[in-house]
Amino acid sequence: MSDTILSLEKADLTLDGNAGPVDILKDITLDVRRGETLGLVGPSGSGKSSLLMVMGGLERATGGKVHALGQDLTAMNEDALARFRRSHMGVVFQSFHLIPTMTALENVATPLELAGHADAFDRAAEELSAVGLGKRMNHYPSELSGGEQQRVALARAAAPRPEILLADEPTGNLDGPTGQTIMDLLFDLNARHGATLILVTHAPDLAARCSRTIRLVDGRLDRQAEAAE
Amino acid sequence: MTAARNIARRELRNGFRDGLRGFRVFLACLTLGIAAIAAVGSVREAITEGLAREGATLLGGDASVEFTYRFADDAERAALASLGDVSEIVEFRSMVTVGEDRALTQIKAVDDVYPIYGDLILDPPGPLAATLQGDPPGAAMDPVLADRLGLQVGDMFTLGEKTFRLAARIESEPDNAGGGFDFGPRTLLFTDDLDGTGLIQPGTLYETEYRLRLPEGTDLDAAEARLDQALPDSGYRWRDSRNGAPGIAEFVERLSAFLVLVGLAGLAVGGIGVASAVRAHMVEKTATIATLKTVGAEARTLFTAFALQIGAITALAVVLGVALGAVLPLAFSPIIEDRLPVPAAISVYPLALVEAALYGTLAAALFTLWPLAKAQDIRAAALFREAGGMPAGLPRRGYLIATGVILVTLVAAAAVLSGIPTLTLYTAGGLLAAFLALLATAWATRKAARRLARMDAFKGHTALRTALGSVGGPSGEAAAVVLSLGLGLTVLAAVGQIDANLRAAIQRDLPEVAPAYFMVDIQPDQIDAIRALENDPQVEAVEAAPMLRGIITRINGQDAVEVGGDHWTLRGDRGVTYAEELDEDTKITAGEWWAADYDGPNQISFAAEEAAELGLKLGDTLTVNILGRDIEGEVTSFREVDFSTAGIGFVLAMNPSALEGAPHTWIATIYAEPEAEARILRDIAGDFPNITAIRVRDAIDQVSEILAGVAAAITYGASATLVTGAVVLIGAAAAGTKARTYEASILKTVGASRATILGSFALRWAILGLTSGLVAVFAGAAAGWGVSVFIMDTSFRFAPGSALAIIVGGVALTLVAGIAFAWGPLAARPAQILRARD
Repeated sequence: MSDTILSLEKADLTLDGNAGPVDILKDITLDVRRGETLGLVGPSGSGKSSLLMVMGGLERATGGKVHALGQDLTAMNEDALARFRRSHMGVVFQSFHLIPTMTALENVATPLELAGHADAFDRAAEELSAVGLGKRMNHYPSELSGGEQQRVALARAAAPRPEILLADEPTGNLDGPTGQTIMDLLFDLNARHGATLILVTHAPDLAARCSRTIRLVDGRLDRQAEAAE
Repeated sequence: MTAARNIARRELRNGFRDGLRGFRVFLACLTLGIAAIAAVGSVREAITEGLAREGATLLGGDASVEFTYRFADDAERAALASLGDVSEIVEFRSMVTVGEDRALTQIKAVDDVYPIYGDLILDPPGPLAATLQGDPPGAAMDPVLADRLGLQVGDMFTLGEKTFRLAARIESEPDNAGGGFDFGPRTLLFTDDLDGTGLIQPGTLYETEYRLRLPEGTDLDAAEARLDQALPDSGYRWRDSRNGAPGIAEFVERLSAFLVLVGLAGLAVGGIGVASAVRAHMVEKTATIATLKTVGAEARTLFTAFALQIGAITALAVVLGVALGAVLPLAFSPIIEDRLPVPAAISVYPLALVEAALYGTLAAALFTLWPLAKAQDIRAAALFREAGGMPAGLPRRGYLIATGVILVTLVAAAAVLSGIPTLTLYTAGGLLAAFLALLATAWATRKAARRLARMDAFKGHTALRTALGSVGGPSGEAAAVVLSLGLGLTVLAAVGQIDANLRAAIQRDLPEVAPAYFMVDIQPDQIDAIRALENDPQVEAVEAAPMLRGIITRINGQDAVEVGGDHWTLRGDRGVTYAEELDEDTKITAGEWWAADYDGPNQISFAAEEAAELGLKLGDTLTVNILGRDIEGEVTSFREVDFSTAGIGFVLAMNPSALEGAPHTWIATIYAEPEAEARILRDIAGDFPNITAIRVRDAIDQVSEILAGVAAAITYGASATLVTGAVVLIGAAAAGTKARTYEASILKTVGASRATILGSFALRWAILGLTSGLVAVFAGAAAGWGVSVFIMDTSFRFAPGSALAIIVGGVALTLVAGIAFAWGPLAARPAQILRARD
């Protein structure tokens, strides 16, 4: 089995803005190794989150290639990408992004259910208990605090046991201690299940916990920083 | 107030800059509702004006004096001639015979002055006198009748015992609309030519009408008073050009009142859209309101500010609605005029527009007050929390009272302005009940959906579970859709159930109990032969009764109309009978029937239900004018009379000695097997050409046809209600786009395919559509039952066809609206949507 779980080859992302096309990512070539924890850092607007979205197939690269687990994400249509994520990827966002019309349990069960797991709800319940929300399963997102919502989001991302975990500033909307708990849970997932964790963050201490960090500046990889690592 | 005005002005300015985006459904709902009511009102006014303008033509003269089965005597003719030029018309039903073929006709015999006003158009064209001249005498005929009998111009036919020649087909008869409902197409001839037909005999049911051309500027009231003075006891009926077609005017008045009620239902449906729009607007303004409170704005100032804003938008909707309602009839005037059987002077009628504006304004106030009142309770602290919608609970008491006052004012205005207060109150009550039922259903649906979403059986079916989760979730979408669509469908379902039951009562149930033939103008010496038909094995029964026509002129010596008002038994002449013995099926409810050989002062037995409506008591005296003679009698009994079976039923019966002396004919009903009907008619026609046989099935078909027209008009009105419901639905679908785009993005992120997401969206709309349809069918059936049992006195039978159409229609509508707004969310790129929320 190859050691590279995710690779980008000369990947570009250009989006249409009001004032014309905007180059978000330029010429990104990058390999992510299985099981590593990779921190994406850089100033605001440097393209960190966009790069994470491209890695997750949530944004389609407008140039170059993106491979995950040996499959070419740039060649897949939207539904194929969705099916791929269902089995291999978990995503955690800064703003949690839970479905407001579903309870915590239903939110966590949904990806399992989509992947055809007959025990989706039992596993979802276990996962929620694992993040300390065993007693809040039937609450709607609006009835949960920010930290609790992020724990639900984390449980949802982790439940299908994905090989790749993408986290976009998962503690950005949380206070210090709550953020710490979330990060512990995330790194614990990496440690226990061997999931590759790719983390966008502004926080230097979080970046420091990663096995590797790469820095983006103006949509390009800062090779000097990488070399300095 | 200045602060409030300034806030309102700024909010409005921003709103207009944004193209009133949040208020489009508000504007559409209110404008549509007002426009529909204004248009119906305008057409009603146009017909009223048209009837008034064409009154003389429709009536056939400036005034008309009618006698029941007699001609005016010399003194009466002289009195009439003293007022102006006179034209004499005789009308009655008879049978046209061509060989073995016979058909019912309404004969109109005229003199050479006819028509005083308007033009009679014949085919081939020509003056009436020249066309009808000849031997055998000529007659003009309704083309429908001529075609049915296969008659060409020049062919011969028989009326009574005399042969006539078809001289022309009638293209247009100027005074035909005034006659109302006729059981037979027209045959027009000269009165002199009736000699030798044997059709007009003592007791024959015919009417004579003396039409007057009055000198220009004649005061109609004065003319009527003069005639009343000259002929105080003639028992005639006066009509004049101010109301040339009273039956039609009343029919139009009733129908448009119905349509206005349906329009008000539409306004109620639109009101839900209006309320949702204002609610959504106020939720969006949470931060603004909280900020304003932080800097010192009082609740009252905020309420005033937003009320001014909503008021300005309401005013815009009223102007748009009224303008649309005024323009629509003008734009479609050629079609409207073509379709209406009566003249309509289509124009702009301010009163109709003011009425619509009043309803619109009150409805807007009713539906916006609540969300406006709630918004002022938003706390300044909302700024520091995630905006979670409107505060829970009821608004302050003052606003609750104001809501009640507006509701009562709206219903009262409708009750007064529609002219049918009882029905308006029923409708308002029905709407309120439907509204509450739908509210309860929306609540129950949410609860049930939430529970179902957690059931093991649905686990693993992501689309269905997310759909159920969405319906049962905390958003207010389910309530808005079920209420608006449900109310629209309820109105349509109620109309459908009532229509189906009314038709069933007439077309299905009536023929089962009704006789085959209704025979009139049977001379006393012919009645035994008719009764003998009972020996025919294919004849089940023959019922016969003597028949006179009389007008109830006085009750206890007082003018009858002053005592009994506008009751149908007092309108014009009614059938009167006499009988020695009480029919074995008839039940006396109070008093006693006279003895078999009773020969004392006149006694009257009156129909119990109608007597109660008139306020009659035993011992009251009634004066009935029969053939110009006043006959007085004492009410000595009340009896049950069933008018619903098309059998013989008289409101008023007297003891034989009271009426036997008056010239009269008999009527008979013949109950026979359908296959014997043609033979019976042939036999009677051969033996007694003067007898007119009305085939009950034909009459039923004719009534059904009229009902179908009325039902169609009301269904169109109800469809307008559904259009408003659809606008609200589209508004709800559009308003939820943002939430669904977000949901779709998350679902895609966790691995849902577009088909799964679309399935989930379609299912949730189908669930809401199905729920709305089911409640509408139940509510509509309840309304149909109420109307059938309490208003129409018929039994109610659930009409599954109409119900199924409502349910399928409800689901289809929601699916179309929901799916139309699903493509945006489906196509959205999750990365952008989710990041925009970060």
